[in-house]
Amino acid sequence: MTNSDRREFLKVSAAAAALGAGAMLCTSSLGRAAPQAAKGRKTKRVVLIAFAGGVRTRETFGPDTNVPTLKAMAGEGVLYTRARTSNLGHFGAALSMFTGVSAPRGIRENARGNEPTVFEYVRKDLNLSASDVWIATAGGEQQVNYAYGLHREYGARYGATTLDGDGIFNREFKSLLDAWGRPREMPEKERDLYLRLRSALQTTQGATSAESAARVESYLLQELNRGTSDLTGANAGDAKALRLARNIVSIFKPKLTAVVLQNADIAHGSYNGYVEVVRRNDAAINELWTAVKADPELRDSTAFVICPEFGRDRDLNSRRGLDHGDGSEDLTFVTCLAWGPDFKRGAIVKDDVAVIDAAPTVCDLLGAKARFSNGKTLPGLYA
Amino acid sequence: MRWLLRSLCWFGLLGSAAAWDGGAVAVQSLDARALRTLHLDLLGRPPLATEVEHSSGKQLAEVVDAIVGEPEFWSRWFEEQLYYFLLVNNFRPQSERMSALPADLASSKVDVREAVHLIALSANFDQRNPGADTFVTVVMEQLLGLQVQKNARELEIGKHLYDGGEGTFLGARGNSQADVVRIAVRHKGFSAHFIGREYERFVHARADPKELAYSATEFAKDPGVYTNLVKRWLNSEAYRARLEKRLPLENRLFVCSLFVDLLGRVPTEAEAEPMRQALDGLSDPAPLRSVLVRMMIDSGRVPVEKRSDITDPAGWVRARFTRFYGRSPSESELATFVAAFNEPECRPQTILCALLSSPEYQLY
Repeated sequence: MTNSDRREFLKVSAAAAALGAGAMLCTSSLGRAAPQAAKGRKTKRVVLIAFAGGVRTRETFGPDTNVPTLKAMAGEGVLYTRARTSNLGHFGAALSMFTGVSAPRGIRENARGNEPTVFEYVRKDLNLSASDVWIATAGGEQQVNYAYGLHREYGARYGATTLDGDGIFNREFKSLLDAWGRPREMPEKERDLYLRLRSALQTTQGATSAESAARVESYLLQELNRGTSDLTGANAGDAKALRLARNIVSIFKPKLTAVVLQNADIAHGSYNGYVEVVRRNDAAINELWTAVKADPELRDSTAFVICPEFGRDRDLNSRRGLDHGDGSEDLTFVTCLAWGPDFKRGAIVKDDVAVIDAAPTVCDLLGAKARFSNGKTLPGLYA
Repeated sequence: MRWLLRSLCWFGLLGSAAAWDGGAVAVQSLDARALRTLHLDLLGRPPLATEVEHSSGKQLAEVVDAIVGEPEFWSRWFEEQLYYFLLVNNFRPQSERMSALPADLASSKVDVREAVHLIALSANFDQRNPGADTFVTVVMEQLLGLQVQKNARELEIGKHLYDGGEGTFLGARGNSQADVVRIAVRHKGFSAHFIGREYERFVHARADPKELAYSATEFAKDPGVYTNLVKRWLNSEAYRARLEKRLPLENRLFVCSLFVDLLGRVPTEAEAEPMRQALDGLSDPAPLRSVLVRMMIDSGRVPVEKRSDITDPAGWVRARFTRFYGRSPSESELATFVAAFNEPECRPQTILCALLSSPEYQLY
C-alpha cells in the first residue's frame, strides 16, 4: 500500500468512525489507553499463519528449495521440527490450532466449535475491538467459523473480523459491483439523519460495534478498488488471503492477524500442483514479511508463528497425488516456525510439540490466557 | 389478535393508522411477520406482493399446503442440499442431470433419498471431497451423521471399497466408490440423520425423540412421505414456537430478501451467488450487507417514489416497516422517521437505507 493509499484510507476511516460515533456505545480500543503487551515483551502484534491444506515437512524444510522465505525466517527465529498433528480433516485440524483443543469436527461441518478461539481470548483479556483482531481465510464458507466459538464466556462479541479472500475479492463480485455501481457518498447532513434513524430503531446492536462496522465497511470499499480481486493462479485463494493480511497489517496494525491457507490440498490430484502452491505461498508470505519489516511501527514489535495443520501421506496415490489418511509420520508431524523480537535466533527444537500449542503461545505472547486450551506454550522460544 | 389486520396492512394495503386501531379480528390467520418467516423458511425469500394479497387471512396450514411440494419449494430444497454438502462456488453442479432434479422432484420422478443419492454420485461431490479418506469420511459424516474417529474400522473398509477393493462396508457388500454412496444412502442411519437435519432446517429446533423416531421410520419405509412430514412439522406447536422467535437471517436469505423487498423479484443465480459468496466470507457480514443495501438503492434500479409524490409520509413509513419488518413502527419510531422525512436533506432512499441496514432486518 502506498503512502497516498494509506492517507486516503485513514481519511475515509476517520469519516467512517465519525459515522459510527454517537450511534452506539462503542467497545473499540480507540479513545482509551492501548492495551499493554505482555510485561517485558517487545512483541505487540502477532501474525499467525495456518499454512494449511496439508503440507508435509518434505516439501517445506526438506532438502528442496521450495520455501526460501520460511527458511530465512527460521534462520532468524525458532524452528520446531516435530509438531504433532491430529488428522481431523482440514476444518477441524485448523480450528484446533486456533482453539488449542484437538476435537473431532466433520470435514464439511459448517458450524462453530464449542471452545473459545485465540481471537476471543485475546480480545476479551486485552479489551480489544473487532478491528484489532483479524483472520483472512482462503477456504470459503466453513472458515468464517474460525472467528469465534460457542463458549458462553466468550463468543461472537469477542470474535475476529473475518475476511475470506476468495469470497469477497473474486471477479464475479467485483463485476457485480461494477454493474450496479458503487454506493454514493452521503452528504454530511444526510448521514447525520441516517444515523439518527438507525439509532431510533428499537433494535439491539449486532456483534460488532457501530464504529468497528463502519471502519470495516470503509476498508472493504477501499480493498475492492485494489487489485486483490485480480489475483489468479494455483494459489489464488491463498494469495488473496495473504494479500489481505498484508493490507490489514499495514492499515489496521492489529494485535492479532491470522491467515488460513488451503490451496495446498490440490495435492490430492496433483503432486506438482501442490509443490507449486507451496512455492507461491512462500513467496506471498515473503511479501507480508517484507511489509512488516519495512514498517517502522511493525518491524520491531511483530512476531510470526507459522504452522501447517497436518501433513500428507508418505506415498503418492494412484493419481500421482497425495492424500492425507495413512497415519504416517509425514502426516502426523509437521514443522513449525516462530519469528519475532522476543524469540531466539536460529534455534532448532527437535522435541515433540503440538500444533495446538499455537493458540496458547500466541496468547502468552500478547498477555492473554488460553484458559480452555489443551496446548502448551512452545518450549525454547524466548531469547 | 391483530393478525388479519396486520396482513392487510402488509405492503401498505390499508396503509393508515386507523386500520390498526379499528378493532382486531380474532382470526387465526398468519400475520405479516409470520407470513414473511414462513416464506423465508420454505422458499428462502419473503412473499411477493401478490402472495401477500393472496395469503391474507389464510391459516398457516392453508399456506403451507399451497407451498410445500410446488416447484419453487423443490428448487429451494435442492439449493439447501447443495449448501449442506458445500457444493457451492466452483463445486456447484452444472450438469443437466443435476439441474433437472428440482423438476424431477416436483413431478415425483425421483424422491428426496434418490436425489441425495444422485448428488453424492455427482462429479462435483467427488471433486469437492478428493481422495479416499476425505470422500468416505464425508459420506459417513454427512449422509449418516457418524463420527469417523469412533468408526475407524468402517472408514478403512470404505476406503478399501473406494479404491476398488471388495469388502463389507456398514453391513453391505461393495467394491467401488459408487457402492460407498449406495450403501450409505440405503443404510438405516441415513433416514434418521436426514430427517433430523431436515426437521432442524424447517423448525429451527431439535426434533423431539418420539417425533424423530416416527418421522424417520415412516421415511425409511417410503421416502415419498417427505412432503407430508414437512407439512406435519410446520403445523406443529414446535413450528408455532419458531414463528415467535427472531433468528439471524442467513446470507443467502438476506440477498433474496433484498431483491424481493426492493425490486419485487427473486435474484438470478448470477446476481445472488456472488453476493452470497462475498457475505459468507465475513464472520460478521453486517458491514458488507450495508454496502450491498446502499449499492442497490443508489443504483437507480430500485423503484422509489419521488419525495414530492409521497403525500402521506406517515403511511409511507408505516408501510415500509410492515414490509421489511412485518410490524408496525412504534410511536416514537414513527415520529422520528416522519420528522426526518420532512427535513430537506432526507430522501426516501435515506429511510430505506436506514431500515434495511438495521440489525432488525437481519432477523426473521
